[in-house]
Amino acid sequence: MTLGTENETFSNAQLNAITTNENTSASDIPQLYQLNLEAISPRYRVINISLAFCSAFVLIMVASALRYQSFFVLPDPLVIAYPFIVMGICVLGCLWTTYHFFADPLIKYALREQDLSLQSGLVFRSLSCQPILRVQHVELKRGPIARLAGLASLQVFSAGGATHTFEIPGIEVEVAERLRQFILNHKDVSAK
Amino acid sequence: MASPEVDTVKPSKSSEGAQAVKVDTGEEWRRLSPIAIAYFTLRSIKNMAQGAIYAVPAIAVTANITDNIQSPNTLLSIAAILIIFFSSGVVSFFMYRFRVSNQHVEIHSGVFSRSYTNLPFWRIQNVKIELPFYYRPFGFALVILDTAGSAGEEAKIVAVPLVYAHALRKQVLAEHQEHGHQERETSANVNDSGHVNIRAHANNSSQACVEGDPSKRYSETNEDGETILNRRSITDIVIHGITNNRVWILLGAAAPFYDNAFGYLSEWLAEKGLQLNQLVGEQTIAWWQFGLYAFVMLMMAMAVVALISIGGALFTFYDYTLSRQDDRYIRRSGLLNKQEVSMRASRIQVISAKQDWLDRILKRVNLYFEQNASIGHSTNELMSPNRLIVPSVTEDEADELSQEVMPESKIRRSDYQSISKRYILHWVIAGLSIPFVVGAGFGIYIEHLDITAGVTFVSVLLLGVIALRWWRWGVASDDKYIYVRRGRIGVDYLCFEPYKVQQVVVKQSVFMKRRKLATVQFVLASGAISVPFLPEDYANELANNVLFEVESKRKSWM
Repeated sequence: MTLGTENETFSNAQLNAITTNENTSASDIPQLYQLNLEAISPRYRVINISLAFCSAFVLIMVASALRYQSFFVLPDPLVIAYPFIVMGICVLGCLWTTYHFFADPLIKYALREQDLSLQSGLVFRSLSCQPILRVQHVELKRGPIARLAGLASLQVFSAGGATHTFEIPGIEVEVAERLRQFILNHKDVSAK
Repeated sequence: MASPEVDTVKPSKSSEGAQAVKVDTGEEWRRLSPIAIAYFTLRSIKNMAQGAIYAVPAIAVTANITDNIQSPNTLLSIAAILIIFFSSGVVSFFMYRFRVSNQHVEIHSGVFSRSYTNLPFWRIQNVKIELPFYYRPFGFALVILDTAGSAGEEAKIVAVPLVYAHALRKQVLAEHQEHGHQERETSANVNDSGHVNIRAHANNSSQACVEGDPSKRYSETNEDGETILNRRSITDIVIHGITNNRVWILLGAAAPFYDNAFGYLSEWLAEKGLQLNQLVGEQTIAWWQFGLYAFVMLMMAMAVVALISIGGALFTFYDYTLSRQDDRYIRRSGLLNKQEVSMRASRIQVISAKQDWLDRILKRVNLYFEQNASIGHSTNELMSPNRLIVPSVTEDEADELSQEVMPESKIRRSDYQSISKRYILHWVIAGLSIPFVVGAGFGIYIEHLDITAGVTFVSVLLLGVIALRWWRWGVASDDKYIYVRRGRIGVDYLCFEPYKVQQVVVKQSVFMKRRKLATVQFVLASGAISVPFLPEDYANELANNVLFEVESKRKSWM
């Protein structure tokens, strides 16, 4: 597979600076901060925020239904606690929404010839980089809502264990599939 | 019934053992030695005990209610259960057949669910020989054939004579070698004695291993042609027992007897004129007397714990040897049950040299070779196939052994890049401040200043621990390896080859970015290693270099 064709394939997910296995001097070593990062789909944020709203709404509905139903009598402490519970749910929902509003646009990924990178986090930024050579298998994860929105998460598993699964959330299905195909066709993975 | 006989006729091509034991059993199916009945019986008792551990409270309650532990019925039923186990052992023994022929090991086993295993020699990754204590007087051994690494896929030949086990191992490993290194094998004479053949291999790989450091050679070999790298004397193991808490090895096994032991203990103390109840219950003695008693008791308890720990260490590490055969490190040890853990050199991800505070005083190091953590479970730290431990070696031996595994590595070095002091600040603000303010404020509010004093004391202690952690933490690298130093009161030195890294993560909070600091994390198959609060440029350079190393060297991590 030549680089040119990949560049065409990845108009969305741009192929970054190239790492080769030629002997290069230290100054030529590809730099992580030079990555050409690509944002994930803006729909991911929409999904997350609406999810936050929906779950807060459902929880409030459940609490209210319990409070105002006429089948059995609630103990007094619960009745007193009701407005606080609703308030708590609202506050948490707002925090959740605000977090996603600001954090989701910061999730960015990049593909280089030899590795995948993901940047994320609002206060605590992390930039993780997964060499394709070390990939054991790839999965596309699509929940029902993500399917509706035409999104998918790409999970990349290495021998680093389950806690270190590399995941790019909320990218368009076509992009995810192309990324997956790129990883699978990569000579390091397909050679196994 | 015949176990494979010891054949003293001239060694055929397939039996290239110095003991001239015929490994091939021919077309005929063999039965195990009758000692296997003991193994099967004990195994089914063990399985039942493991399964029934949740039923213990129920059984105990029933026994208490009916109060008939001493009655003949109970004894009868215990006897009946034992007989059932024994007969299941006998049945298992009769249902078990194996043969070794034509470079294959075949095993028929199981009573209700029969299973048939057919293992070609070249698929066997490793052959372990274990000696349960009841086998040892009779010279039998349990042979465990490891396949591609998954723990469930072992095949066991339950009871064969020890010489046969050794011969089988030698042949399987020789076959494995031939298969793997056919091209490397140029002049090794297959018809020659296996000893010479294998030793030639060992020399080959030792040359490969200690290239660049030819002054160091291990000359001692054992009867299997393995190079002995390290032995631990009883003194070493006693030191290990003192410096490390190996109490649980014995305490775990002794759990059913706690109640009785405690009863005896207080009786014995009472005889000596010490009444525990009296001490605690009444205020008849002066505080300094009480303090003295408490101190003496504490010292006695510590002495007992240390003794138990030494016992535990001896139990697991007695007669410890670490040896190398070709590209494989093998550790054998054990007082009653001789156990064996082996590890391919290429699978070792990290060497860690751990020193607790007591180790530092005595200048001892526990050395661990760690491999893929996802194989097997972490049920038993000391016996797990993921870690190979060399207990309480001296600092020089630790250097030597780590250079044996990772040539030219230098774990004790002075150029560790230390982490920023902001690490302390971060933990004081993020971890300590809120509990301290809340605790101390609460104490002042309810006018119990002792609470405030206690909270302050604990906070200062924690601050000290954080400061020590900051002081220890550092990272260094040379052409071949990355070194991490960390710890609190003790020190751990880690060393790994950058090309084995699975994933690299650079983390930075908004505040760290302002101060140009970053945390770098390397994910290895044996677990993640991170170094926080490094200068940003340094962390980036390290991450970039490691990634470049992984992606340009393209070597396997296994």
